[in-house]
Amino acid sequence: MARTDAVLDALARRESVTFGVEAGDVAVRLLGALIADVDSHRLSSVSITPST
Amino acid sequence: MTTCAIVAGIMPNVTEGRVADAATGVRLATRSDESDLRELTSLAVQGDRTAIESLLGHLRPMVVRYCRARLGRVSGHYHIADDVAQEVCIAVLSALPRYRDMGRPFASFVFGIASHKVADALRSSVRSAVPTQDLPDGPDDGPGPEETVVRYIEAEHARALLSRLPDNQRELLILRVVSGLSAEETGNVLGMSPGAVRVAQHRALARLRQMADLESIA
Repeated sequence: MARTDAVLDALARRESVTFGVEAGDVAVRLLGALIADVDSHRLSSVSITPST
Repeated sequence: MTTCAIVAGIMPNVTEGRVADAATGVRLATRSDESDLRELTSLAVQGDRTAIESLLGHLRPMVVRYCRARLGRVSGHYHIADDVAQEVCIAVLSALPRYRDMGRPFASFVFGIASHKVADALRSSVRSAVPTQDLPDGPDDGPGPEETVVRYIEAEHARALLSRLPDNQRELLILRVVSGLSAEETGNVLGMSPGAVRVAQHRALARLRQMADLESIA
């Protein structure tokens, strides 16, 4: 469980998971693909600042 | 003027960027000293514009990721998910004056709202809408077509497998991995102890792996 926690922490921090058996873990790879897809699409970000 | 700005009563500067660009903000929102974020939230609740902007800047990337992971794309785009994320931000801003710190992280309050908004969107027919594609402002510096297709297929596969997980396991993995919350923060959102989150995430990942393996054999 500690290893799973470390892997999920790495994914959450957007670090590549290249250590141990997790590097070839299909579940880790799919979650990584979802993260990459969700992160990479452009969005309009709204920065709220007082008008001048 | 966006609705967010209307709610906040201030003018927004709208800029383009990637969700990944805001990774630092996410880390600040979720990993930094909790008392700092609590202080920021307290100031925002009192109507401090700078605090509201800072708080929203921290939270919005996490909310966008969450909504995108839950709702997926329509016609290849995340417009609907991003609109829902915007609705979440508006709801958070609207609810700020009534927010009372009960000892739980502010993120749990935000993702409670996000979870309901996503459920509403899934129930409604909003996903059948086909938005018009915006023309890009400049050259696309992202991955090439082949890599994009592979990533798209794998991401859709991940989303399909996640949709077959029990609700609590799916929610846990999305909050923990896609939104980037810690085990403690995920537990606060879902009403679980950090220990229970670690047990559940281990089981959820194992189940995801099992489903993927079974599909590859079939």
